[in-house]
Amino acid sequence: MKIARSKHFSQILLLLILLIMGVVLSFLSPYFLSWNNFYNILDQTSVDIILAMGMVFVIASGGIDLSIGSVLAYSGIMMAFAMKAGMAIPVAVALGISAGTVIGLCSGFLISCLRLNPLVTTLGFMSVARGLALILTKSSPIFGFPNAFKFLGSGRVGPVNVPILVALAIAVISFILLNKTKWGYYTLALGGNEEALRRAGVATHRYRASLYVFCALMAAIAGMITVARLNSADPLAGWMVETDAIAAVVLGGTSLSGGRGSILGAVLACLVLGMLDNGLILMAIPAYYQKLFCGLIIIIALVATELRNRKEHRNFV
Amino acid sequence: MKKKSLLVGLLVALSLFVLMGCGEKKDAADNKSGDVEAEDVVKNDAYTDLDRKILSALEPLPDKMEGVKIGVVFPTFSNPFYVAAKQGYEDAAASMGIKVDVVAGATEDDVEGQLNVFKTMLGKDYDAIIIVPITGMNLISGVVEANQKGIPIICSGTTLDKDAAAEAGAKIAAHMTYNFEEQGYVGAKYISKKIKAAGGEKAKVAVIEGLAGAFQGEGRRDGAIKAFKEEGMNIVSVQAGDWDRQKAYNIATNLIQANPDLKGICCANDTMALGVVEALKVAGKKDQVYVTGVDFLDEARQSLKAKELDGSVAMAPYITGKGNLTLALKVLQKHDISKQSYYSPIALITQENVNDYDDWK
Amino acid sequence: MGEKKKQPFLSVKDLKKSFGRVEALRGADLEVYPGETLAIVGDNGAGKTTLIKTLSGVISPDSGEIMIEGRAYQELNPRQALDLGISTVYQDLSLVNCRDIATNIFLGREPVRHKIFVDKRKMAAEAEEFLRQLDIKIPEIGVEAGQLSGGQRQGVAIARAIKFGGKLLIFDEPTAAMGVQESAAVLNLIRKLGQKGYAVILISHNMYEVFQLAKRVSVMRQGKVVATVSTGDVTPHDVVALITGAGEIAADIFS
Repeated sequence: MKIARSKHFSQILLLLILLIMGVVLSFLSPYFLSWNNFYNILDQTSVDIILAMGMVFVIASGGIDLSIGSVLAYSGIMMAFAMKAGMAIPVAVALGISAGTVIGLCSGFLISCLRLNPLVTTLGFMSVARGLALILTKSSPIFGFPNAFKFLGSGRVGPVNVPILVALAIAVISFILLNKTKWGYYTLALGGNEEALRRAGVATHRYRASLYVFCALMAAIAGMITVARLNSADPLAGWMVETDAIAAVVLGGTSLSGGRGSILGAVLACLVLGMLDNGLILMAIPAYYQKLFCGLIIIIALVATELRNRKEHRNFV
Repeated sequence: MKKKSLLVGLLVALSLFVLMGCGEKKDAADNKSGDVEAEDVVKNDAYTDLDRKILSALEPLPDKMEGVKIGVVFPTFSNPFYVAAKQGYEDAAASMGIKVDVVAGATEDDVEGQLNVFKTMLGKDYDAIIIVPITGMNLISGVVEANQKGIPIICSGTTLDKDAAAEAGAKIAAHMTYNFEEQGYVGAKYISKKIKAAGGEKAKVAVIEGLAGAFQGEGRRDGAIKAFKEEGMNIVSVQAGDWDRQKAYNIATNLIQANPDLKGICCANDTMALGVVEALKVAGKKDQVYVTGVDFLDEARQSLKAKELDGSVAMAPYITGKGNLTLALKVLQKHDISKQSYYSPIALITQENVNDYDDWK
Repeated sequence: MGEKKKQPFLSVKDLKKSFGRVEALRGADLEVYPGETLAIVGDNGAGKTTLIKTLSGVISPDSGEIMIEGRAYQELNPRQALDLGISTVYQDLSLVNCRDIATNIFLGREPVRHKIFVDKRKMAAEAEEFLRQLDIKIPEIGVEAGQLSGGQRQGVAIARAIKFGGKLLIFDEPTAAMGVQESAAVLNLIRKLGQKGYAVILISHNMYEVFQLAKRVSVMRQGKVVATVSTGDVTPHDVVALITGAGEIAADIFS
């Protein structure tokens, strides 16, 4: 009863799912319960977590960004071209990340200043960025990068690798941004009641635009990690990752209609989906079942949250 | 506000700069390789071998027919394979004195988009149309329309679903198919051979197919399973990598976790195989696990040369164009081909023979 | 009358605003003096809400002039209006339902620590203390605004409007859709604010409220202020007549 009442219902539910899955998989597969495998799950989820962090802000503000997969690919390609052109790695990385961020700036500008619909606008930029990626590369991947760059994708720092560290750092920063700063407060207020925020004297369009920039920035960082890890900048990289990110964010308790956002929930949801993938492969369960299970978990969690919300509503009204 | 617009300008300028800089560089690189290929293509034994093979399969060869207009419908151009194939059609058409238009849908899974493109082509005055359907189903209604208009259709790659085509009354004038099973079979055979050469028996192996349900991937998967079983290997897992590098990377990591003594992974394409290679490198297991893919991408060639990827099954998209155009002419000249089945030729490229396949298309 | 000699805190001249083909304001004039409580009355669609929205910077007028403490403005934006001391409590409540009371009261003016972090604790403590001062009763400071009753929400909205030292408080039908007791509490609060020296503009349909709180009443009809009368000189019936236009006709006949 206490749990059902808690503000953090979604997150607690996910934590439970995570624990139950962990216990069940430990019994079902002898390979599951080890630091090494846990590390694998973290490694495999790192990109999803980074993408989900950007998406939490956009969705919490009542928007959506479908372009992240394409921005991921586009940034990676720009980075790759810059390196192939002989630029220093930090310069190339900065260039690639700015290139992706510019796309967020464009969609953010159109959505906030011209009040275009975010779904359609980012759908447009999804095509634009993917198209650019395919045109620039003539649809063949760019590959073979210096070791110093590959370090960003698979290099180890102490017990973990760079992607995990980056994902962790971004998750912590996102948590602080959303819950402790004006920017986060205004993100939630934008999703809750934009007019109220405007009447309170806040330049809402700037804040709204900045969210899409942030989301694209996350996608670009994910692009960097993907290229570095796979040693290849693929124009088709990040295909459909936006659906995974949106699923994780919503599963984590962020409201699709805006106003509520949970960083912790999104991270937990990414881990649940990642652990599910990992466990099913360890158990050598065929691919078809993976999609089935993944879909079921999303639906169950959403139904549980919805039922609980209705109950809550009754209690207060 | 000023600050912001300055920043915007700067970022836009930056990205434009990168765009332009890269565009130029890429063009230059392409021209260079184009020149080399024009000469080397003929010299390359492996290439002329297959060229001869496909033409001999098509005998008796048709007469020259100048001015014939042929349309080609691909799934997409967002895959280097089809880009090379398009080049093959265009070069062959130029040498044969016929006119060819190659068009494609948006993505490799946009089945309706491809049908729309196909139907648009039917409205033009092509003497014959060569289709490379995304699935066995998606172009059937277009083929029916073509039959009504009397435009002969040559089907390349994926074949139409027999029952569905019969029910709809769709008739194909000729088929040139890829034997996907063979592509998987060849790769898995090679892995098994390598394992046995190193003294391994009944070793643990795995197969990574493409998008679950995709025709080519399933064919390659079945071929690989067949070969592994023939060789007495122990198939521990069959997974879907969705043609995606990152997915294959994750799968390989997890496979190694569950099977530290894994010896081989046969992948349904190179993109996935290359993801697997990266994962194995990170896990420090590259030397222990043999990996093959299909497509012989440029990237796979480099990986083979670097002694990382172990094998890639090459189709010959470039030559297939010539074969299909020749087949189209045979159809137009009413050769009797009802009893013939034509296959696009394939080759296995390994670390040993990769140098013979420079400039392969 | 000593009041007349004072400079008005705010005066509006010939304000016009159209939404498409609808002329909401056709040259409205208004004056508000420091510390007075002015009521604006008028039928639905007379332009009351449009007028006050231009004053709070939410709507830009097409033409006309807004003079505040002697300075003229063509238009205002919300931030400017707030900075000039104009705070508004809207009819359509401007609370963010999914945020807690303190966050709503401080919306747009959150206190920060180290220039970055919103000081949640300070916000909660100050908000609670402030609500107590105003005698606004709420269940708990951490409750989301969406879970409050109409009167409680109005209380929070008022607290927000006056938290940051406005000079002019505008209330757009503050007791609409509110129970008797809650209305009384809100009206009491407005009266106290008037006594504390705030200038108040009260928009209301309720003559009882108007005559209880306001010294002067401006009557709007069809986008214009057609009359401004002192509540001491007229009866509620006279005001109603002015609202409907019957008053003028009557005046014409008698003269």
